[in-house]
Amino acid sequence: MSDAAFNVLTACLVALLYLFLLRVVLLVARELRGTPIVAQQVIMAEPVAAPPPEPARRRTRGWNLVILEPAPRKGETFPVDDEATIGRGGGCGIALPDDTFVSTVHARAFTRDGDLWIEDLGSTNGTQVGGETLGEPQKLRRGDRIQIGGTLLEARR
Amino acid sequence: MTVTAPAATRKQRTTPFMRRRRNGELALGLHVVAIVVGGYVLLALSQGSSLPPDLGVFLAEITGLYVVANVAMRRFAPGADGTLLPLVALLNGLGFVMITRLDPSQARVQAVWTTIGVGVFVATLVVVRDLHWLERYRYTAALAGIGFLLLPLAPAPIGLSINGARLWAKLGPISFQPGEVAKVLLVVFFAGYLVDKRELLSAGSRRIGRLYMPDPKHLGPLLLVWSASIMVLVFERDLGSSLLLFSVFSAMLYVATNRSAYLLGGLVMFSGGTYAAYKMFGHVRTRFQIWWDPWPTASGKGYQIVQAWYAFAAGHIGGLGLGKGLAGEQLRSGSWRLPEASTDSIMAVIGEELGLIGAIAVVIAFMLLLGAGLRAAIDHPRPFEKLFATGLTTILGVQAFVIIGGITRVIPLTGLTLPFVSYGGSSLVANFALVGLLARVSDDAAQREMRA
Repeated sequence: MSDAAFNVLTACLVALLYLFLLRVVLLVARELRGTPIVAQQVIMAEPVAAPPPEPARRRTRGWNLVILEPAPRKGETFPVDDEATIGRGGGCGIALPDDTFVSTVHARAFTRDGDLWIEDLGSTNGTQVGGETLGEPQKLRRGDRIQIGGTLLEARR
Repeated sequence: MTVTAPAATRKQRTTPFMRRRRNGELALGLHVVAIVVGGYVLLALSQGSSLPPDLGVFLAEITGLYVVANVAMRRFAPGADGTLLPLVALLNGLGFVMITRLDPSQARVQAVWTTIGVGVFVATLVVVRDLHWLERYRYTAALAGIGFLLLPLAPAPIGLSINGARLWAKLGPISFQPGEVAKVLLVVFFAGYLVDKRELLSAGSRRIGRLYMPDPKHLGPLLLVWSASIMVLVFERDLGSSLLLFSVFSAMLYVATNRSAYLLGGLVMFSGGTYAAYKMFGHVRTRFQIWWDPWPTASGKGYQIVQAWYAFAAGHIGGLGLGKGLAGEQLRSGSWRLPEASTDSIMAVIGEELGLIGAIAVVIAFMLLLGAGLRAAIDHPRPFEKLFATGLTTILGVQAFVIIGGITRVIPLTGLTLPFVSYGGSSLVANFALVGLLARVSDDAAQREMRA
């Protein structure tokens, strides 16, 4: 077989190879465009099997964090007895699995000498209290509003 | 809200979407068969000028193997990603053509291993119907994984030392590399363990300066398994696998906790470990010096990397054509001009005979395969499966990077096989099982989405 013919055949083979790679890319692109993005919201969190802690929890004398926004969860109350982590992850005391702007473990609320404190745990988007981004743990007063991602919480007692 | 039925009663169903995936898989597979058979024919044409005598058998065998795998997917994992199998077939087929070109007797062995590999792939799909139980046996997996890692260190009738690395174990008539199996088992453990502890590991409870440290008691078992596997690998002198395990582990830790500090910490630990190994072990120093400057020992220890360069250079952009390169020539001593041409250096043979274009096609195929693995991880709603698929994909990716990077002198060359391409039974079989597990994760994700 002549060299020229061999080289032409080799070129055909390489072309066939790249055609294959192109077909794979097109297939993937078509699938990605076609499927609704369901999985994107829940990045590492367990699908929440049970509804979050019942909103109608009896008010205690201690500190509570109450959700003001987003609207669907408005009014949910989380008592902070000792410590509660706040984040998108399912293991957090105050779990916000639907808020993509919240880090997996975003912040921590804790009580010390009867005061409620909030501390950011190195979250991506930060934690704001009264519009100020937290640098270090901050003591909260009654009525302070805490912005975590797209969620707004209020401190009450 | 998803209602999760018990595993036994959960029924697998096939939707039109899944059938489309399987049909696409079959179509792409036939395309791969055309490429591989084309390569096989071209190879024969370059050596004589007649068609290969066993062309019919070859065509029937690879088509048969592919159809078996496709049918198994239809039956046992109908919803799995449709690009996994074609990409694996392409890499494996291209590798087989190169091995045939290098040594027909190795090719016959590789053909047997490929058949066994497809069998293992099907068996994986049949046996591992549900990933829950893998998660439950994570500590068993850790123990078994470390056991497999230690096996080559066992006394002579079992443990074997080949090429200065103690990687082989011989059980009866079969000798294999237990490390290949160990990787998958350790990923099962890492995934199961990290799912349990990721909240604890990502939330800092102690503060050092501006850094939050998780409680050391949660890190303990992790570091133990980690350093145990690294130590074993250092004693077996298998730096490639050591690097592989370390990277896979760090990547999984990062994905599980979303804390880049772990990547940084991993890097620092790895640099420290490398420096210590450099100081302590002569063979590590040699590897490093060859990488830094191979020319002083170009006819000795640096011979392999220098020959690999020559091969890539000779291949230029378009390649010399299958069967026409020099790297794959057998010398009078019986070995190839390029050492380890069918295993560590196979990328250089591809680079010489199919050129930069061919070598890049292999890299693209790997990237697409990794994409398929990571999509399985993204699509699955449960954290264990996410981490598991990420870990398995990282194994393939890091292994491809370490060996391709090694032979092109991006990083020091360490002995690892190029998954699916290189000659070697243990690696082939383990990687087929790995892809079977990825297919299972991907199918599981599709099944859940359908039920939701």
